[in-house]
Amino acid sequence: MEFLNPTALLGLFALPLLLIPYLTKKRPRRLTFSSLILFTQSGTPTSRGPWGRIHLPPVFFLQLLLLTLLILALSEPVFSVRPTSIAIVLDNSASMQALEDGKTRLTLAQQKAQSLTQGLGSGARVDIYTTTPRLQRLNAEPLATVQANRVIASIKAYDLADASIDYDQSFGALAHEQNYQRIYLVTDHPAGSQGAIARVVSVGEAQPNLAITAFDVRRSSIAATRLEASATISNFSSRDEKLRIALKGDGATLTSRDVTVSAGKAATAVFEGFAAHPTYEVEIEHSDALPLDNRRFAVAPPSRNLHILAITPRPQAAASLKSIPGVTVDVVSPADYGKAVHSDYALEIFHFAAPATLPDNPSLFILPPEANPIVESGAPVGTVQVSSWREPHELTRYINFSLFRPTYARPLKPKTAGEIIIDSPTGPLAFALEQRAARYLFLGFDPLPYLGRENLPMSIFTLNFLDWFLESTGTKAQGTAEPIRLGAIESGGTLVTPAGTKIALNGRANVFQDTYEQGLYEWRHGRETRWFARNLAVEQESDLRAPRRIDFHDSAKAPGVSSAMLTFWPYLLTASLLLFFLEWFISPRMRRLMVRRRTVQTA
Amino acid sequence: MLTDPFTPQFLTQLEVLRLRTRKEFLGSQTGSYSSPRRGTSLEFADYRRYAPGDDLRYLDWGIYARSDRLYIKVFREEVDLFAYIFIDASGSMAFPSPPQKFLPATHVALALSYVILANQDHVKLHLLHDSSGRASPFYRGRRRMTDCIDFATSARPAGLLQLAPSLGEHLKRLRRPGKAILISDFLMPAASYQQGFNLLRAFNLDISAIQILSRAEVDPPFSRGRLALVDSETQREINYEWSDDSRREYQSRLAHHNLEIRSFCHQSGIHYSLYVTDRELSDFIFATLPAIGLFK
Repeated sequence: MEFLNPTALLGLFALPLLLIPYLTKKRPRRLTFSSLILFTQSGTPTSRGPWGRIHLPPVFFLQLLLLTLLILALSEPVFSVRPTSIAIVLDNSASMQALEDGKTRLTLAQQKAQSLTQGLGSGARVDIYTTTPRLQRLNAEPLATVQANRVIASIKAYDLADASIDYDQSFGALAHEQNYQRIYLVTDHPAGSQGAIARVVSVGEAQPNLAITAFDVRRSSIAATRLEASATISNFSSRDEKLRIALKGDGATLTSRDVTVSAGKAATAVFEGFAAHPTYEVEIEHSDALPLDNRRFAVAPPSRNLHILAITPRPQAAASLKSIPGVTVDVVSPADYGKAVHSDYALEIFHFAAPATLPDNPSLFILPPEANPIVESGAPVGTVQVSSWREPHELTRYINFSLFRPTYARPLKPKTAGEIIIDSPTGPLAFALEQRAARYLFLGFDPLPYLGRENLPMSIFTLNFLDWFLESTGTKAQGTAEPIRLGAIESGGTLVTPAGTKIALNGRANVFQDTYEQGLYEWRHGRETRWFARNLAVEQESDLRAPRRIDFHDSAKAPGVSSAMLTFWPYLLTASLLLFFLEWFISPRMRRLMVRRRTVQTA
Repeated sequence: MLTDPFTPQFLTQLEVLRLRTRKEFLGSQTGSYSSPRRGTSLEFADYRRYAPGDDLRYLDWGIYARSDRLYIKVFREEVDLFAYIFIDASGSMAFPSPPQKFLPATHVALALSYVILANQDHVKLHLLHDSSGRASPFYRGRRRMTDCIDFATSARPAGLLQLAPSLGEHLKRLRRPGKAILISDFLMPAASYQQGFNLLRAFNLDISAIQILSRAEVDPPFSRGRLALVDSETQREINYEWSDDSRREYQSRLAHHNLEIRSFCHQSGIHYSLYVTDRELSDFIFATLPAIGLFK
């Protein structure tokens, strides 16, 4: 017999509380009387047994039985029958790489899963699933136990956070579609209530852990030459930790810092003045439960030169950007846009122009014409009033909006979801969105003519958006499972994964999806080499102290699905309800009967 | 030193009283109680034929004149009385407190003792305890009243009383029949007090029974609720739900119990009276006891 909700059995410890009403019942006053011969007929002798003066009426034992049955019913007891068709779902998220007595949780989970298959009959069929990057079946056809064990042993953990799966619903659908008699989820999450079909098998214990949760290498501004790096170390434990963090460039240690991180808090280590390298890595010298998050990677920011392609019918306006140090501008007319080599540019500025589809490069659209896929333009406004703006935001920093008055504007009407940066009573003046790792900014006014003409707010805004675009050009590391985008012209070549696997990219492919490993991905195409960093993105995955509990509420038991369990808690519940009514019926009548008997004796 | 209620006025009133007996006893000296023997009292008893040597002063000359036969008038002998007062000194007599029950019982006993002493009769006080009882010597004459008081007030009610065995211990040393007055609460099973009365009857004693109850026993002052009642003699404890119903039930049982005692006494020729201790002693002595025929 098993209990699907064993937590309810803790209620048995509360049963002695039932005695409290009888213990706290007012003790009878003890009085001496000359002789009791006239009382003995209707009095009851006081017990002098080990229970002392506690008088436990029969109804107490009825109540005790009632509560016991109720608790047993809540714990959902079932009789198990050996299943013949099961699914084993192995959690292969990053936290499964945590070490438990020298073994990873994944190894323990594999052992548990294999022991589950050993308990099956010879004719049993098994399907194996993994949870990351999504809930997926590993085998095409149901497997015998020996084959299933082989598949289980081949499963590897990805450097990914838990996929957002509603296990209760998903397993219900699986059980319904595949007619599983039981589905086991082997995970490092603790088990809550179990379902009739879906069961949680937990591995691992709560552990303290230290993790680098953020790492960034950047230039402080578009004009800056020095690099700076910052790493955030989070302490997921109950005591302060002192550790050393090292910054490495191309594998060689550049510098290191001693950092003290308070319990449950995060600390940031900042590095400055280090040599330029194509790639960087930070590592904490600390042995803890999860080695994966003790390292983090980043790619060097691009050179401070921002190479801009301006598509405009008015070349003079775009040429004003050349006055900014580090900015080079190539100007083409809208008709010549298709002839340009777009991969050479970090930013494309469409000035009174717009392409038919969104470009792959980060782009700025200034007063785009009607024929563009993102925004519509409103009626022209002569005197522009700014009503609100996003704050804090990199695009609006240092700007005094009371002086921000473009003389001509056309409010925008976004067709897609994005972020309104500057708003006016007649509509948004600046609208930003981020798609496929590229940033796009739409402006309902033209800032370029104001550059260098002592219009300070507009000049600051121009520098802000250049910084904003520069920041998006691959300096920040991205999370695992985020695709690596290669321009259409760059497609092809070879991609080397952090594990050293070389993948020949299809000539037409411009996106590499399977970035499930943390580390540096190297793309080689002829003599050109580019680096991409991917890191474990979800902080909660490093917190091994109290992972989310997984509960099943029997939604897995869909109609027509045969369970391998014979549940009988409804019978217990019915019995307890019957007892309740019996107690409700008996208790007042017993009291009345006693009173009546006494009255008869008196008469 | 005589204290309340034994004031001079009260004692003077007591001196008027004389105990009445339903039996004739052989006294030791001349007294005021008739004896089965013929004697020289003024109370005529019978005639008998003259025999030589008889005192001619008792010849009934009237009969001789009518029948020409000589008859001598025979008179009753009047002797003094031996009285035994048995006082229940068990633990139940101390409920709710000795001044509220045992002391009134001793006052009744002392009042009766004074009546006896004032008539120049003999009185002996017996304290009925669990097994070993105490008894005073015979007292005679008013001046022994203080001895009676000393003896009675020296008693402390305690222990468990088995009436018949305890009476038996006292009766074993009893040499002269006389008047027996048993003062007790009689809160005991019927078989127990009946056995005690029968024992007294077997010793040819003229018996009077005075039942002493305190007001707390007649109308227990318990408030409603659950009670753990402890027997003052046996220390046995029972749980009892006290309510208006149970109060009525208790009083009904007490009335029934007292009625049983009264009936038994009536059938056995025993004077019986109930004294509830919140009543005036003088009222009980001068009104109730004469009414039941204890005094002449």
